[in-house]
Amino acid sequence: MAEQYKLIHPSKYYRDYLNVNIRPDGREFDKLRPNAINVGSITTADGSAIVKVGNTNVVCGIRAELAKPKASTPDQGFLVPTIELTPLCSPKYRTGSSNEDAELYSAALNDILINADCLDLKKLCIYKEKLVWCLYCDISCLDHDGCVIDASLIAVIAALRNLKLPKVSYDAEIEKISVDTSIRESIEVKSSPVSTTLMVFDDNVIITDPTAEEESLSSCILTIAVCNGEVCYILKPGGTPFNSEQMDLCIKRALAREKSVLKLLNNVLK
Amino acid sequence: MGSDTGDDAYSDIHLRALNCEVNPLTRSDGSAMLTQGETAVIASVYGPVEVKTQNLQIENATLDVCYRPKTGLPTITDRSRENVIKRICETAILTALHPRTSIVVVIQELENRSGLEACAVNAVCLALLNGGIAMKFTVAGVHSILKENDEIVLDPDSKESINALAHFTFVFDSLQRNVVAVNTQGKFNMAQYNDALTICRAASGKIFEFYREIISKRPV
Repeated sequence: MAEQYKLIHPSKYYRDYLNVNIRPDGREFDKLRPNAINVGSITTADGSAIVKVGNTNVVCGIRAELAKPKASTPDQGFLVPTIELTPLCSPKYRTGSSNEDAELYSAALNDILINADCLDLKKLCIYKEKLVWCLYCDISCLDHDGCVIDASLIAVIAALRNLKLPKVSYDAEIEKISVDTSIRESIEVKSSPVSTTLMVFDDNVIITDPTAEEESLSSCILTIAVCNGEVCYILKPGGTPFNSEQMDLCIKRALAREKSVLKLLNNVLK
Repeated sequence: MGSDTGDDAYSDIHLRALNCEVNPLTRSDGSAMLTQGETAVIASVYGPVEVKTQNLQIENATLDVCYRPKTGLPTITDRSRENVIKRICETAILTALHPRTSIVVVIQELENRSGLEACAVNAVCLALLNGGIAMKFTVAGVHSILKENDEIVLDPDSKESINALAHFTFVFDSLQRNVVAVNTQGKFNMAQYNDALTICRAASGKIFEFYREIISKRPV
């Protein structure tokens, strides 16, 4: 009977649980799902990571290519994160058509990486005005069960820390590029931002780390990224208007998450 | 206005000059050209109009937002702006009044001299008001930046925002002045965030006052 009730009145079903201060999956409002990280499992990529946040599963592979720098920034390389949401991960998405969610997530991820100052793009420069590294971080979502940005961010950071670039030398006089794949060096990742997605149900209950089912019932979803105890990104695209206390609560929950994720990252990448 | 107690504490609020041309476009149901200082945006609204079957919603109107940059094709940043504005409109408009229809909002960027997102939100709100679309509340976007020594500069021009440590764009509702949307760039702590929020919230009153002025002057 419970299953039929859930199908017919999903909001009511959910509200019944929230009235007794618990979520249908047994979590309290501010409890996170377990995370798992695996690095370097894709051997064909220069750096890679697989991350699970509950059932959400994303794979990030970094492809390093040599490129010519922009004339406006002759000594800086490129970092290009792209999130792909295929029909594989959720019935919400269709093949072929442009995907709003993927665009919003990719833009958010790019902003977080820039705001947190993760990489010194100048370190990706091989020869000024001629040759730089372009790091394509391709993120593919295998299973979308909410909080794809959070999982993707962990995956990108883990993959960047796992990345090993071959040694490249450039002879400017004869414009010759020589790549030595036997010597590989990792790059310095200056900071590891951690993001948290929260949602609001019925305009008043704030829930951390929602599943896809919860996200579909939400009246507002927001993402907050933190880095070394400082906030480096807040995105609240519309939804329930917030007063100051609600926003403070969200930021506090985001700050509280940072430590546990960093500990896991450091353990895996030891 | 003056319902908010915060207004008196910030009587020296200085926003860049706001100017609005009402209904510059003859064919749309409502349009507005808004300039905030040297930043200029034109917004137009059609609706409720027929909806594409694939976007049809049985209980609500579908919002179709299109953001056009000044030059070239829309970049990923523009697409994300478009998305944010769409969700803000979905919150503000009473979409349940026009089920199985679509409301089309088109935004054309004319000049970006800092505070573009805030200006775009305000232009869209004015266009919606002119188009007679029923709304739960009006919205006001305010932009501010964080400079060194914890200094918050409200609605800076492009010159002032060069050395900004962080940018904040808040969108407030007209009822409780609560935060409908936030977008930030750069690093900051909670105290700095709250400072920016308080100043921007107080400044939103000026924008709501401006809306009132424009609408009351509008030829009927």
